[in-house]
Amino acid sequence: MRQRLQPLARDLGRILMALSGIVFASVVVSLAWGELFAVPALVVSGLVPLGLGRLLSARYGDADEVGKLHGMMIAASGWFLVAVFGTLPFVLVAWTVAVDPFPAPFAAPAALDTPTLAAFRDPLNGFFESMSGFTGTGLTMTDDEGALPHTIQWWRTIIEWVGGVGVIVLTTAILARPGSGSLTLYESEARSEKIHPSVVSTVRTIWWIFILFTFVAIGILWLAGMPVWDAINHAMTGLSTGGFSVTDASIGEYNDPIIDFAMIPVMVLGSIAFPIHYLMLRGDLKNLYTDPQTRWLWGYFSVGSIALIGLLWLDGTFEAGRVAVTNGVVLTGSTASLFQTVRYGLFQFVSAASCTGFGTIGVGDWSAPAQLTMSGAMVLGAAAGSTVGGIKLIRLITLVKGTAFRIRGVFYPETAVRYLKLDDRKLGETEVSRELEEAAIIAFLWFVFLGVGLAVLLLTVDGSFTLENAVFEITSAQGNVGLSTGITGPAMPTPAKVMFLFNMWIGRLEIIPVLVLLRGLLDTFNFYR
Amino acid sequence: MDPRDIPLVGFVLEFGAQDHVLDAMLLAGPLVVLAMVLGGRSPVTAAIVGLYVLSFAGYVVYNGVVAR
Repeated sequence: MRQRLQPLARDLGRILMALSGIVFASVVVSLAWGELFAVPALVVSGLVPLGLGRLLSARYGDADEVGKLHGMMIAASGWFLVAVFGTLPFVLVAWTVAVDPFPAPFAAPAALDTPTLAAFRDPLNGFFESMSGFTGTGLTMTDDEGALPHTIQWWRTIIEWVGGVGVIVLTTAILARPGSGSLTLYESEARSEKIHPSVVSTVRTIWWIFILFTFVAIGILWLAGMPVWDAINHAMTGLSTGGFSVTDASIGEYNDPIIDFAMIPVMVLGSIAFPIHYLMLRGDLKNLYTDPQTRWLWGYFSVGSIALIGLLWLDGTFEAGRVAVTNGVVLTGSTASLFQTVRYGLFQFVSAASCTGFGTIGVGDWSAPAQLTMSGAMVLGAAAGSTVGGIKLIRLITLVKGTAFRIRGVFYPETAVRYLKLDDRKLGETEVSRELEEAAIIAFLWFVFLGVGLAVLLLTVDGSFTLENAVFEITSAQGNVGLSTGITGPAMPTPAKVMFLFNMWIGRLEIIPVLVLLRGLLDTFNFYR
Repeated sequence: MDPRDIPLVGFVLEFGAQDHVLDAMLLAGPLVVLAMVLGGRSPVTAAIVGLYVLSFAGYVVYNGVVAR
């Protein structure tokens, strides 16, 4: 193998081994639900990446340490490969149920052979679901999640939960080698904030926080009235801001305001950077308002929610005559209408801005300004260093403050020494330029690929969808959100599925590592010459 | 025997927020979920889960406001 690809092969092998661990662990769920027919499919789905992973990591174990180029190539190809191999449980379980090759007690119940599950017999649909899960997007190829076997429901949940924190963060936490290129890999996965000087300790603390919050979130949702299986799955996909559900109508299935409001803090927790969570758990609560990005997050969530609620109110979207809020409390008339507007507007804005993608109501028939407000939130995302997608608030802060800094600079003499305070750092002119350049490049690329995706979507989907529907859908895919106006589904044209796969992939990695991978592969194999 | 020698407990104690109350809450998490699964929705289970959630929220606030 070419020299420069050897570190890539070694680290991809490690990532695949970590993936196989998740697959094997999921067998416990199949056993707990008595879905023995799914066990062989999971075992095979785990053995394939394990075998390939061991082969690669053993064969190239002594390859050079990774540099920045390799780090980006590993991150991009690693995410692609886990999505590829994560497809196996979907496809193999769907085919197992269809063919039903095993005798009792491994036989598949006929009731599970539904069109919903049958969609995964097509590997492209399975790959779409896997990529959507690992990238924390939540767009789905299923028509009715409630009809899926529990094993598949769990697989969708666990890949979002792992993907929310990061595939490389998981691999580093489990298989890290001291003094290795872990930091380079960590930074290539759209992360830069560290909790401890050691990146291995940082990723392990991230997992510690994430697991603790998951248990608390399960408790909150269960207390709000969710069944325990639903609470486990929704806590995991809500905290990871993924948005896969185990019900047909997502959180709207329960039609319960208490559950809607209970889910909001879970999504908000997932939107705050892990270092801030760490400081908060250490007793340093003031970071919730002194940290610039977190402070902007509160303002952004508040202003955006109020704007969306205002638009929905002006549009008269909810003219409910009677709403049962909770035991014995019933609202009527304009009070009911206002309550419904606040309830759905708040939930849907937080769901979009946190890039979670849970739905409590269909948004496809909302007015264009309301849909575009949510699209804007999906493009921006929330805090860097959390589990969200999107461009991230820190880049908006950089662009706003950096642009103001540049404009103010015109009024100063050229010899003036100026600094910009950004995210608790004091930056000189050169550093401001570098930060501003990075934020501008990512924002530019973000809109370029949104444009490409939108063009493909408009050319391929049927004409019953409006332009705002298409803008909403593509921003949802690239922002790794998962809200849908109804365009995404198994009947979606193949070019649109492939485009969305690409948008989800580049969105999770903030585009540049994917472009570096493509350029690196072309260069390695001399395609230019 | 040092609890740090137990694999999972060792991880929790070493990489957390260096706070034994929160470490204990993390270790108790699976038991709380098990109580939900096995106990169903009963007053006792609701009390256990409610206590877990409230004690987490209460402790974080106490730690940040009162203890500092």
